[in-house]
Amino acid sequence: MNIVKSTMMGVACAALISVAGASPVYADDPDAFKIGAVLPFSGPYGIIGKGMKQGAQLAIEMRGGTVLGKPVEVTWEDSETKPQPAVQKATRLISSGAQMIFGAASSASTAALQGITEQRKIPLLVTISADDKITRANGYRYTFRTSNTLGMEIRMAMEYTKAAGLKKIYAVGADYAVTRDGLEAYSAAAKEAGVEIIGVDYAPLGNRDYSVIIDKIAKTDADGVVLIVTGSDGVTFLKQAGQAGLGKTKTLFGPVLQDEVLAAAVGPDSIGAASGVRYHYSFDNPANKAFVEAYRAKYNEWPDSFAGEAFDGMSWFLDVVDSTNSWNREDWIKAFEGSVRENSVEGRKEMRACDHQALQVGLWGVVEKGEAPYPDLKMKITNVFQPDVLFPECAE
Amino acid sequence: MGMLLFLLAAGLTLIFGMLRVINFAHGSLYMLGAYLAFQVVNVTGIFWAGLIAAPIIAAVVGALMERIALRPVYNRDHVYQLLLTFGFILVIDEAVRILWGLEYKQMYPPELLSGAIEMFGSSVPSYRLFIIGFGAAVSAALFFMLDRSRYGMIIRAASGDPEMVRTLGINVSLVRTGVFSFGAGLAALGGAAAGPLFPIELGMGFNIIIDSFIVVIIGGLGNIRGAVMAALLIGMTRALGYSYAPSWVDFLTFILLIGTLILRPEGLFSRKGRTA
Repeated sequence: MNIVKSTMMGVACAALISVAGASPVYADDPDAFKIGAVLPFSGPYGIIGKGMKQGAQLAIEMRGGTVLGKPVEVTWEDSETKPQPAVQKATRLISSGAQMIFGAASSASTAALQGITEQRKIPLLVTISADDKITRANGYRYTFRTSNTLGMEIRMAMEYTKAAGLKKIYAVGADYAVTRDGLEAYSAAAKEAGVEIIGVDYAPLGNRDYSVIIDKIAKTDADGVVLIVTGSDGVTFLKQAGQAGLGKTKTLFGPVLQDEVLAAAVGPDSIGAASGVRYHYSFDNPANKAFVEAYRAKYNEWPDSFAGEAFDGMSWFLDVVDSTNSWNREDWIKAFEGSVRENSVEGRKEMRACDHQALQVGLWGVVEKGEAPYPDLKMKITNVFQPDVLFPECAE
Repeated sequence: MGMLLFLLAAGLTLIFGMLRVINFAHGSLYMLGAYLAFQVVNVTGIFWAGLIAAPIIAAVVGALMERIALRPVYNRDHVYQLLLTFGFILVIDEAVRILWGLEYKQMYPPELLSGAIEMFGSSVPSYRLFIIGFGAAVSAALFFMLDRSRYGMIIRAASGDPEMVRTLGINVSLVRTGVFSFGAGLAALGGAAAGPLFPIELGMGFNIIIDSFIVVIIGGLGNIRGAVMAALLIGMTRALGYSYAPSWVDFLTFILLIGTLILRPEGLFSRKGRTA
């Protein structure tokens, strides 16, 4: 019995030591500013991780590689585009002294990271996940999103519908919760704006055959087709719609339908498709020009929206940390709430204190043929929507 | 879609019928076929070159897989073979990632098939009509080979009673390598043909392999004729689903699968005593 008891005590002690070790005592003056980056480098969103890493690396490099007078150390971990590995890796990073977590890409992984960062009181910087629930009023104290929300992009799609004078819309959505919410929000806004929704179809996520749906749409008198799908679903739809010639008679658009990566996957059939754009290298302001120039010099490519958003968020957050002159994380949180960045690569951004969501302009563009040095297919920014029409008041 | 599913399911069912191996890596071979076709088209600029070269290269890869890895585990428990084919998925996926990166790749239909034809009031892309005709031709060729040719006879015999066939002086190991390699080639042919329809990406094999397994189960494991009928049945069910209730399409497909498993677990189109 004694042996059992002492073994139990031993295990309990070991567990206690490991828990204590996992949560290092806060140092007043650490050797380095440690960032734990949990990004997808493999899995369906693998391509996003690459852009985010390049953007964030440049942000650190352009500030001389230091924060609060100490060198910045980033540990890059692969979330595999799945929540479980994302949490495991973030936990390990926090245990080894990360002062902030940067990531992830898919909203599901980011939501999983929010649990652990709230619990451990570590700031989480989100620069791409768009699910509205990530930033909600009085929600997550340690999460800050410097990029777009899906709700904002849906409102951009509605603003575009009105601006383009479209009156009859056929709606196609991927069949999962976030896109269903998005399509319902769009339909409600359409009703208010006097735009008629003449048909709605939800296709399974990862759908491979849109031919029947495309044929149904072709036979209607819709003048526009809103596609609340993204990634490979959007590519598949546009490829198959192009082969059936759907884009010749109807305007194809969606809140997150296209960027230059996706347009390249579709090919010339993407020309004319309109979409919300998270960030674009052509946005005309001095900060963006400097970033694009440095990015092209370092990586010899145009920054995609993942790189642009990551650069912007990381630069902003590190500037805020520097401005506090403090290693106390609570000081960083307080300073970031309400912080205004006049010189972001997308113009003015304001970090709303109530939900930690950055208020910003919304970019909308259309795919067009590009000529060297631009990609063969590029987004042309056609509309810049102001924050007051894109962000509702913070709900209490 | 039905015809693409058939190309995949035919390879899958052929390998199972002959080798009794459930090849989970079949989807990865399909993906590999799409990437290979993309590469060949990129270099030569000729769509048809990709459509021909991809299955040949994948068949060589398949032959190597069978010869090096699968052959030593034929006499072991089925679990080893399953684990091995899972291992193939990891190896092929990683190799594709290293060779081609994570970006989506694109392929276009040849000029001749890039338009659309008006049929019954609908605008049908010519490339889709080509896929239907092509799939029908491949299935006819497969029937002919398996049912009428000497090779088909050997394959069927080696599948039913390998010991007897070996006694007759036929190299059964070589037949097995040939069948696995041929199955891999069919998967890659499906991938190459799918290139202009879908984004070419790392996840594309996973998306379609589940449907292919459903086709194989509904058609009867190891039954090529069943695979054709089941692929058409699934294709038609999904097309009707898309017309009337798109969000129920996956549900309808699985209902068909569950119904088959309950009512006729040996497959809707299987005949007693007949495999491959």
